[in-house]
Amino acid sequence: MVPIKLSYFENLKRYLRLDPGLEGDVIKEICTHLEDRSHELKEAGLSEEEATNIATRILGPPQLVARQIYEVYSQGTWRQSLCAGLPHLLIALLFALHFWNNVFSLAIVLVLVVSVTIYGWCHGRPNWLFPWLGYSLVPVIATGVLLIYLPGAWSWFAILAYVPLVLLVIISVTKASLKRDWLFTSLMLLPLPITIGWIVALLGNTNLLWKEQIQHFAPMIALSFSVLAIAAATFIRMRQRWAKFGTLIVLESIVFIMIVYAGKSSVSPVTWLLIALLGLFLLIGPALLEQNFTRNHSKPA
Amino acid sequence: MNYERELLKGSTDSLLLSLINNQPMYGYQIIKELERRSNGYFQFKEGTLYPALHRLEKAGLIYGKWQKLPNGQERRYYYITLKGQKILAERLAIWQDFSTAVSLIMQPASN
Repeated sequence: MVPIKLSYFENLKRYLRLDPGLEGDVIKEICTHLEDRSHELKEAGLSEEEATNIATRILGPPQLVARQIYEVYSQGTWRQSLCAGLPHLLIALLFALHFWNNVFSLAIVLVLVVSVTIYGWCHGRPNWLFPWLGYSLVPVIATGVLLIYLPGAWSWFAILAYVPLVLLVIISVTKASLKRDWLFTSLMLLPLPITIGWIVALLGNTNLLWKEQIQHFAPMIALSFSVLAIAAATFIRMRQRWAKFGTLIVLESIVFIMIVYAGKSSVSPVTWLLIALLGLFLLIGPALLEQNFTRNHSKPA
Repeated sequence: MNYERELLKGSTDSLLLSLINNQPMYGYQIIKELERRSNGYFQFKEGTLYPALHRLEKAGLIYGKWQKLPNGQERRYYYITLKGQKILAERLAIWQDFSTAVSLIMQPASN
């Protein structure tokens, strides 16, 4: 393939960020268009390189073409939007209805989250899957933390076997979501800083017992996860990438302010700053990671 | 933005539906046909054609199907749907009324 054509399609693919099947179709279609135009120009007497050069120029910048096609498909349906907000709503309901201390309710939510995640993962990883995927990682991480605190051989088992395994799972899940689109990774990681924020706020408040504290903050916790549900649902409905990212950053900031307000008396500003930076890193980090992957991929052998 | 470009932008979907309604076509063929039938007036920016086609397809007005040409190459042909035909008929009626009204005001000499 002529280098300019190769570079054109590499860029087109990089910015399309569609489902693999659809992406293949779009690229094939534009490739046939380019071939038809090049063929016509070659028949008019141009060399292959000149013809490809002009044909790609007439087609327009790959970033622009890719962005316009992306925006055709980037808006999910209302049903997908609801599906994306549902895991956050389930967590919100656990706290709003005070089911958070009921083992049976927790088990139902856990089984539901894991089942939906497995279903989505095996059915083409649709856009609504990523918030569920984020929550599926929480029990995996929590089990690791619990194992470390267990006495004797269990902690060694955790350090030597479980933690590396969990890291492997998290890295491969992150890689898979990055392959699709870094924005989905940011969506997936959305509840992480919020959960950490609430844990810090609750741990800092020593006036009440742990259970009483959760009871006390339950309405606020429920509200914060409801806002996350709105963020995920709005994310799915937005067409433009900047609007999707804007939704995540604005609504997460609102939730963060709520948590700071709830736990302001007990936690130092430095701790809040660190959590805010972690939140920002988890939102922007995937974009940087994706750039890094792309650069490594496009390096000539 | 210039007036001509704005007019074209507003009529792109109707032009595409109209062409595909006459016969199923693939992207490059649509570009050539638009140029030919408008005596070179419509010179579409080629890269913007595909987002427009995919938008119409997502709206259920057309559908695409890969087909083999006699020379063995494949092209994605677009077909109009019933919904597309209905929308086209509505737009055509609106366009005819609009164009008659504009002509009555802009070229009143014949009255």
